[in-house]
Amino acid sequence: MTIADRWLLPDGIDEVLPPQALRMETLRRGLLDLYQRWGYELVVPPPAEFLDSLLTGVGSDLELQTFKLTDQLSGRMMGLSADATPQVARMDAHSLVRPGPSRLCYCVNALRATADQYQGGRNPLQVGIELFGHAGIEADLEIVRLALESLSYAGARDIHLAFGHIGIYRVLIEQAQLDEIAEQQLFEAIERKSYSEIDALLATVEMPSALRDVLQRLPRLHGGIEVLDEARATLADLPEEVEQQLAQLEQLAHCISNEYPGVSLYLDLTELRGYEYHTGVVFAAYVPGYGQALVKGGRYDHTGRAFGRSRPATGCSLELKMLASLEEQQPAHDGIWAPAVNDSQLAALVQQLRHQGERVVNALPHQSTGPVDHRCNRELVQEDGEWQVKELT
Amino acid sequence: MSKPLVIALSKGRILKETLPLLAAAGIEPTESLSESRKLLFDTTLDDVKLIVIRATDVPTYVQLGAADIGVAGKDVLLEHGAKGLYEPLDLNISRCRLMTAGVAGKQPGTSRRRVATKFVHTAKRYYASMGIQAEIIKLYGAMELAPLMDLADEIVDIVDTGNTLKANGMEPRELIADISTRLVVNKASMTMQHQRLKPLIKRMAQAVEARRERQEENA
Repeated sequence: MTIADRWLLPDGIDEVLPPQALRMETLRRGLLDLYQRWGYELVVPPPAEFLDSLLTGVGSDLELQTFKLTDQLSGRMMGLSADATPQVARMDAHSLVRPGPSRLCYCVNALRATADQYQGGRNPLQVGIELFGHAGIEADLEIVRLALESLSYAGARDIHLAFGHIGIYRVLIEQAQLDEIAEQQLFEAIERKSYSEIDALLATVEMPSALRDVLQRLPRLHGGIEVLDEARATLADLPEEVEQQLAQLEQLAHCISNEYPGVSLYLDLTELRGYEYHTGVVFAAYVPGYGQALVKGGRYDHTGRAFGRSRPATGCSLELKMLASLEEQQPAHDGIWAPAVNDSQLAALVQQLRHQGERVVNALPHQSTGPVDHRCNRELVQEDGEWQVKELT
Repeated sequence: MSKPLVIALSKGRILKETLPLLAAAGIEPTESLSESRKLLFDTTLDDVKLIVIRATDVPTYVQLGAADIGVAGKDVLLEHGAKGLYEPLDLNISRCRLMTAGVAGKQPGTSRRRVATKFVHTAKRYYASMGIQAEIIKLYGAMELAPLMDLADEIVDIVDTGNTLKANGMEPRELIADISTRLVVNKASMTMQHQRLKPLIKRMAQAVEARRERQEENA
């Protein structure tokens, strides 16, 4: 064994050191307090569950991301939680079974089998909110508002909010009745906005020309709020359901732009992120300097069905490590240095100062570092037999 | 403008054909790319920078947001996976085919097929989709040599004219994909900078179309 084998961490696993750890903890507390004030109750999902419950209706991406192990007590397969959302959905559907809407929040250490460079590597600290039991746009709006509040609390400026609606593509592709391979190819081409491939694919498959026209134009409709007008102007004979979905997006976009004029809006009518489990409005928030979204969320109705209770559901999650990097400033030198003197008066004063909320660092005999190394700006000194707090000179 | 728009270009042949398309969109490097040893270049637009890197690195730069947009061959994108990237424009340059090839006249046997390639992931996916159990051997160049030295039964490589294959007594076999050069865009950049990017992509698309029409007239 070389020295490197002893300190090397596994790929994508990282530790958090001062001052970042404190910054993260402050953020965690602040966010959970914020959610508490909005009526969201804290739950603590377990770190491991049986695979059957972890991976119900969540799609193959999460299955790949889940670490698996055998439960030696039951012989069944267990998985380590890679995303708390399905767990919280299970808690709502099976453990809580509340009559009305239920608002839950959580903050958990997740573990992932595959690393995502931007979402906390393989051990993200995931904080999130979920709202169950209301299918209307009001629930989506509440989640988006709270996501924006979370971001500004974390110090994000110049927020860009992207909206999409998974339902639009779902309705249209169902009408197209493509075979499985063609549908998969079209999905991938639209996901990549590869217009040349979309056009080539659509030219080879049988479908009503009006529908082909819509499927061809829709992926090109992305940009500011004006794309909704563009959609109305260029897409004829849309199915009733799609009209309603566009109206939902419009309502959301207008509400958010009125309430948060500083937030830039972006709409993408063929956003397909999370297609396997999302069912309606999806959103993501970006800030300059980050190549990936800081918040991801959206509607995922009926995940609870597998646990005996089908419920409308919407929510979002954030990764705390990434969020904490938004405001990386050195913590203040604000402590008080207590010398290594064995004196009951000094001890009492230290105790008293700590009760008042001061940070007091006790020096140890013969230590080689001084007050400044421990972020202190004051020290306790004895003058005429009295201990006093003095500014460092 | 706070942060400049960064465009990642693939070194080599693609670069030469890309520059006129960028110029059509109003972006020209302020100095000659080929004569400089620099990697980061200013352009005629203050808020646009160019970086010139290996083709295989382009999707990585764009995916992680170090560059906002990039120019890369479809072969590179297929091999990289290019998850979370947009590919809104086919630049229609450096067209070629990604193919399997083997020694002329020699049919592959039924045993486990050995395939030499630098497109490891693409080859693995392709043979699996064809129901063929293949053992992939990663090489960095001169693929044509591998079957001749009995290192492999087949190769997966880019075929342009097919002359190199022929000169080495080999023949192209199955088409895996038609390849051309694509414009790729980072998803976060598209969200935050769509007001700059959409017109840029549109002007490049017009240049691609104009170029295609010229070629058709000449043909």
